[in-house]
Amino acid sequence: MLGTLASAVAFGVVLASVIAIAAMGFTVQFGLTNVLNLSYGGIMTIGGFAAYLVASHGLSAWYGLPVGAVAGAIVTLIVGRGIFAVYARRGARVFEMMMVTLGLGLVIDYGLQALSRNNIYEFTVLQSRPFSFGPIILTPTQVTIIGVGLALFVGLEGLLRLTKVGKALRAMAANPALARACGIRTRQIVVLTWLLSGALCGLAGVVYIINSQSVGYTTGELFLPLVIAAAILGGAGSPAGAVLASLLMGVVTQVVAAYGGSLYSTAAGFGVLVVVLLSRPSAVLTKQASEELTLA
Amino acid sequence: MSAWSYYISTLAVYFGVDVLSGISLNLQYGYAGVVNLAYIIFQSVGAYVAAATALGPDTGAGAFQHYIFAASLPFPIPLLLATVAGGALAGVVGLFSLRRMRRDYQGAIMLIVSLIALQVVTADVPLFNGSNGLTGVPRPLSFLPVGPLAYQWVYAGWVFVFCAAVYLLVQWLSRSPWGRALKAMRDQEEAASAIGLNITVLRLQVFVVGGLIAGLSGGLLVEYIGAWSPGAWGYAETFVIFTAIFVGGLGNYRGVVLGVLLVPVVFLQVTQFLPQIGYPGLMDSLEWVVIGLLFMVCLLVRPRGILPERKPIALEGSSLQFAAPGLLHQLRRRLRSL
Repeated sequence: MLGTLASAVAFGVVLASVIAIAAMGFTVQFGLTNVLNLSYGGIMTIGGFAAYLVASHGLSAWYGLPVGAVAGAIVTLIVGRGIFAVYARRGARVFEMMMVTLGLGLVIDYGLQALSRNNIYEFTVLQSRPFSFGPIILTPTQVTIIGVGLALFVGLEGLLRLTKVGKALRAMAANPALARACGIRTRQIVVLTWLLSGALCGLAGVVYIINSQSVGYTTGELFLPLVIAAAILGGAGSPAGAVLASLLMGVVTQVVAAYGGSLYSTAAGFGVLVVVLLSRPSAVLTKQASEELTLA
Repeated sequence: MSAWSYYISTLAVYFGVDVLSGISLNLQYGYAGVVNLAYIIFQSVGAYVAAATALGPDTGAGAFQHYIFAASLPFPIPLLLATVAGGALAGVVGLFSLRRMRRDYQGAIMLIVSLIALQVVTADVPLFNGSNGLTGVPRPLSFLPVGPLAYQWVYAGWVFVFCAAVYLLVQWLSRSPWGRALKAMRDQEEAASAIGLNITVLRLQVFVVGGLIAGLSGGLLVEYIGAWSPGAWGYAETFVIFTAIFVGGLGNYRGVVLGVLLVPVVFLQVTQFLPQIGYPGLMDSLEWVVIGLLFMVCLLVRPRGILPERKPIALEGSSLQFAAPGLLHQLRRRLRSL
């Protein structure tokens, strides 16, 4: 009985690592630019497909990680500078911007559906002997995923806390006008944000398909609500909050899957969000003043 | 010829149902600024309730689908229950999701609500038969002594009766003091609450009214097509209606009718007549790509839609005041040059 719980929690941590990688990228982007980017799931899928193409040409699936990260970063930069910035210049408000990203998400998702011929492709990673920690049995892949998630979290926190660029990022997220007045090159920081969050997004896509062993055009679309929920729950712009929220949602999802119906598990993850909204509404309440888009 | 007549009448029914959806969303977003990206679940609950209450009990030898609320109710009652169900669900969802928060947060949370509902209904087979959905819903107007083709047109007329009634009702509501309160809330929430409007209650009210219309539209649609399954209500369906009201013009109902005529009817039907290219299903994917692009282009070239909302006199007056110094300056220069 305790064994079931322990392995459910362990699987929850694996799932949480995947959610957390995506949610960190999402929350950095959202906290700085104020764009609630619903095309993020589509870009995750692009990262996944990029990794699939690498693997289908005979390279190891792990090479997919850097390839997915680069693909995600490039696409996000193009989308951010080429599309979102145009709407921001025209005075789009936050909600309209969100609808634009939703439209773009449809374009990406169904464009990928057209390109992938609506198939789901297998993505296998060679498995070796599983590790066992007491009652918990994890495959080396799962352990690696947790490691990747942890490394990215430490790296991102280090970047934000210890470097000058990180300081500029945080300053701009807090108050763009003041940051600009202090001589921070805001345009470059925005470019950096797109690249950073795009890379995390692409990585998340690859890690997701390594975990689920298949890639299809709905990969990101189905996963995005969990990511948004984790980012909102953790507080916009806070990677640590996003990681904690991801852990909560991942573990709840897997524990419900182990004890209740597996089909209800994702709904339970969202249930966490709803409960938090009801009990701690300040998580999502923001002042009117912060409804400015910062894209240049 | 009769194939065309059949086709056009089918389009007419869909047009009527989409107009109801557009009116509901326009009342909520165009007038009140309440973002309802979960619209499709209120339409769906109407459809499921209308279907289940019209169907007989699901037990017995021939039972191939399972659902609750089986009642074999006669003709107009399932439609009435569908309307009530849409409103009731909107009330429940509104109670916890209509807090005062940024509109994009609200949109994202509604989207998540929509996805939760989809997953629960798909997973919970005893509720509404899971992913297979309900079929064999009896035709409501079958007591009429008409042939199948005439029935099509009678049903389209029946839908249009509801459209006209709802259109007049919301127009009246929107011009009433309540409608002006909604606009005040949309434009200046702080000011509206300062003059004593209860923002929370107003939001809940407009959400429930929109939910009632959504439930009605779902009931009308399911009684026409006779089946409903989770495949029919992805979040993208809500996006199509949003695109329609943005293209037509927010904050007025003529814009809704125009937008619905242009986007879900003309725009999406044209693709049926294009030669099929590539593998089967390619056109369907491209259709969604084009809907996404259409919204993005529309917001860029005509952000206020084809038929923009007419600003009330009071607001025009205030914008004139801002324009006046420039005008006076020009006038003076003209006079000097004379």
